[in-house]
Amino acid sequence: MPPRPSSTSISWPEKPGDLPRDLSDRSELDRLLAEQFPEAGGRLSPLRGGRDAAEKTLSLIDPRRYTKSRNHLKGAVTGLSPYIRHGVLSLAEVRDAVFQRIRSRDEGSKLINELGWRDFWQRMWRDLGDGIYDSREELKTGHDPSSYARELPEDIRSGRTGLACMDGFQSELTTRGWLHNHARMWMAAYVVHWRKVHWKAGADWFLEHLLDGDPSSNHLSWQWVASSFSHKPYFFNKGNLERFSDGQFCRTCSSNDCCPFEGSYEQLEDQLFANQGAIRDVPARRHRNPQQRSGGRQNPKRSGQAAMARPKR
Amino acid sequence: MTLQRPIIWVHEEALGSRNPALLEQPDRPAIFVFDTRWIREACISRKRLGFLYESALDLPVTLRKGDVAREVIAFVERHQADGVVSSLPVDPRLERIAESIEQHCQLDLLAPEQFVDMPRPPRLGRFSRYWRDAEPVVWEGF
Repeated sequence: MPPRPSSTSISWPEKPGDLPRDLSDRSELDRLLAEQFPEAGGRLSPLRGGRDAAEKTLSLIDPRRYTKSRNHLKGAVTGLSPYIRHGVLSLAEVRDAVFQRIRSRDEGSKLINELGWRDFWQRMWRDLGDGIYDSREELKTGHDPSSYARELPEDIRSGRTGLACMDGFQSELTTRGWLHNHARMWMAAYVVHWRKVHWKAGADWFLEHLLDGDPSSNHLSWQWVASSFSHKPYFFNKGNLERFSDGQFCRTCSSNDCCPFEGSYEQLEDQLFANQGAIRDVPARRHRNPQQRSGGRQNPKRSGQAAMARPKR
Repeated sequence: MTLQRPIIWVHEEALGSRNPALLEQPDRPAIFVFDTRWIREACISRKRLGFLYESALDLPVTLRKGDVAREVIAFVERHQADGVVSSLPVDPRLERIAESIEQHCQLDLLAPEQFVDMPRPPRLGRFSRYWRDAEPVVWEGF
């Protein structure tokens, strides 16, 4: 029998319309959600919510191995993002847990840096509000924004592209609801640059499924890949994907002989983008949320510079 | 005015024991509401709902679904409360819900524990700029 969802008790009487707190197991939770939210597709993730699951995941973090291996799909990433996103764990708690596990600053600097990213995205969201849903700047791809498809193609959505890597990522996304950051970036680059789909179609799709679905980090990261929140578009080649995935997809891929990611960065840049020479000096376009609430907010002056240090090529 | 008999509104950004509203008012009735409009419009999958449900079950909250502001206000009346306490949200959708609640009763929003408590707001725009300000302060705690 699947483990029982944990539950604390409440000290006030229940009323009709309250959703049940006493569930015998996860199958019952799955059935309940199907009944109460019939429009919500799919099944439960094998990843569990709740404090116990969060603490168990936190107990397994290894800042030293994270530093060395985080860009590899099988690297020692923490898997804490769903718990942090929904406040099951606070960022301060995770920071303190990292501090307790390291002997020197060097051992924890990469992981602390990544926690800083989470804080940065939240601060950006507070500053931009609903502006995160719009392109922050002009694209640097040389393509007209209207040339990007507004709908996600069905073969991507259903995992039938014929590319073992992308179909594998789709499967992880839709069944587990979690993807390694490098896989998110490869998939976003494929959707936006190889398939010419508008970044927002992909970003919205990710939010349907990601347990850590945070509109700010998700949408701004998709914009970073697309180049509407960075100095230049992010893309990759087969060698990069093969290296950081330990070749797990390429070995069995039916498209191995006609891999769209095969080639040097120069070749792919020529193939994917219209005017590489002109992408450097596009002025930033700013959208400010007119309904900001909290005081003491920053007044960023954006440049067209890439805003982040994501996985190396 | 200090609330004497508030209820606690727990939302999607604070489903943990460090929720400042739960820490401040641990004995008051609390509610979490599944926002059916958001779930429908954003096509939120069952995986995500399950994760939220399991996380909420670890907290002493009544679980409801529907229009969040309406459900929270009904919970205020159900417990004859004099207002609502919650944690300060970042998501503008939650801010709009907070504004709707505020039109009906007093709402106190408490800031959650900070990752880095800066003496003055850091510069944003680029991560590197923010991190230049924030990193030394973060490491003061090591």
